Amino acid sequence: MSGVVTPVRAIQLSYGIVLRQLITRGRLAALLLVGAVVAAIAIAVGASDNRTDPVETGVRLISDLGFTTLVPIVALVFASAALGDMREDGTLVYLWLRPMDRWPIAVGAWLASITLSLPLTLVPLVVSAVAVDGGSDLVRATVLAGVIGVVAYSALFVLLGLLLKNSIVWGLGYILIWEGIVAAFGSFAAKLAIRGYTRSILTSLTDINLDLGDLSLPVAVIVPLVVAAVALVLAAVRLHAMDVA
Amino acid sequence: MADWAPPAAQPDVPSSPVIDPNAMVAVDNVTKSFGDVVAVSDVTFSVGPGVTALLGPNGAGKSTLFRVMCGLTAPTSGTVRVLGADARNDRAVRGRIGLVPQQDALFDRLSAHRFVEVSAQTHGIVDADSAARRVLDLVDLDADEAKPVGAYSKGMRQRVKLAAALVHEPDLLILDEPLTGLDPVQRNRMIRLFHQLGDDGKCLLVSSHVLDEVARLGSRVLVIAQGRLAATGDYRDLRGLMDDRPHRIRVAADGARALAAALVARDLVNGVSIAVDSLMVDTNDVDRFGRHIAIVAKECGVRLREVEPTDDDLESVFRYLVERR
Repeated sequence: MSGVVTPVRAIQLSYGIVLRQLITRGRLAALLLVGAVVAAIAIAVGASDNRTDPVETGVRLISDLGFTTLVPIVALVFASAALGDMREDGTLVYLWLRPMDRWPIAVGAWLASITLSLPLTLVPLVVSAVAVDGGSDLVRATVLAGVIGVVAYSALFVLLGLLLKNSIVWGLGYILIWEGIVAAFGSFAAKLAIRGYTRSILTSLTDINLDLGDLSLPVAVIVPLVVAAVALVLAAVRLHAMDVA
Repeated sequence: MADWAPPAAQPDVPSSPVIDPNAMVAVDNVTKSFGDVVAVSDVTFSVGPGVTALLGPNGAGKSTLFRVMCGLTAPTSGTVRVLGADARNDRAVRGRIGLVPQQDALFDRLSAHRFVEVSAQTHGIVDADSAARRVLDLVDLDADEAKPVGAYSKGMRQRVKLAAALVHEPDLLILDEPLTGLDPVQRNRMIRLFHQLGDDGKCLLVSSHVLDEVARLGSRVLVIAQGRLAATGDYRDLRGLMDDRPHRIRVAADGARALAAALVARDLVNGVSIAVDSLMVDTNDVDRFGRHIAIVAKECGVRLREVEPTDDDLESVFRYLVERR
């Protein structure tokens, strides 16, 4: 009696289920709090008198707090759980053993993660940009870098959730050690971290120079999108080949 | 199906059962290992329409075998054909399988109706709402209950899983311990439903580690123990085998030595070992032993304190079947 499940329909179904599973009061409260802390720091900085250049202050603050901490961590919490939790608790079988392709499952989970991560990161970052009087260029740069960062991190962490148990721990290790320390060693290392691209978007659109943020705007936008696409392809391959509980 | 058969012990039973090419499920020399652990070892069988019970103790490999059949994990060696195809790679066949997994995992924030409706939608059913209501009614659950399934009892969750497995009217139902947590009334109801589906031409494979459950599930049984197919056949033959196998009985009595001599003299036991105030006896005819032990004890002037079978559990039956192979 089973009928045809088109890829678009499969994406819709995966999206709806994953979104519903990801929304928990604990997750939302914790991540809202992190965003609120970032915004509160920006408001405090914006209210202080000892700033020489509000745009530079804003770019550095948003880069250091927003794109080093808030964006990757929010994306990690949602994206690694999107399919990772279902893989670990055994509910993945309810999407996997179905007459439909597996790649839409990964795409639906990725979109669900983005849906939750974007408002929880962009709202506090835009509030921060406004609070420090960074001007419209900083707001535009923050929004573009935020979208690109969430899209790329979400795809990477959806894949991570399918590859590893305790993916949130591995993801934190990646964010803190690779993106936070290793990628700061030089321009080549920075190119192997999403942070190098979000930083370059901020630099390109505000003309404020940041260390290791020297990529052109097209490169800084396109490479993370390519990374996201490759991560989703790998997630689909992994879904197809993996053992399901 | 073959008679009860540790195959090596009964030459009339083939050691490698022939696979029926028209079977709905054909498992051919399947082995599944996880690292050094062999979960399923060289299992071969085929089944057609109707209810077939898969009986085995916990950890015997039943769930792994079901996972291999559904394509959830690939066999290490051997082949599995389900409805003529490999479920792991054939999308159409996946739409003809209904699985009740053993793990108690559901989308806990959804209502029962929404959970089953999602199952229908992921099977491409157009009127998923009606389909969900129909099967929820079939398993005696309220489709309008708004409570999330995370708040349901174990038995209700089992029925939600069953409804989700039935919603697309699959040709093959693989039910891993589906009666766990159900009360006796619901258990009877579900067993009737299984038989009804079997009578309608569906193929149902139902696992259990409870012998009494298997007795009511149907006459066809596959027994799996330690990852191997220990026996296949009719349930009544399994029951007979249980009664006929050697039994070990502990007899606590004053004057154990005299009692042992009398039991041997009357040919009631195969062997006896004597402790200070008890005997351990082996017998092939437990009924005859039971009828005579009190009489013999009285004749010997021995007072019996306790007569206790030490191997009257299902585990020992499985062990016996495996050892006979």
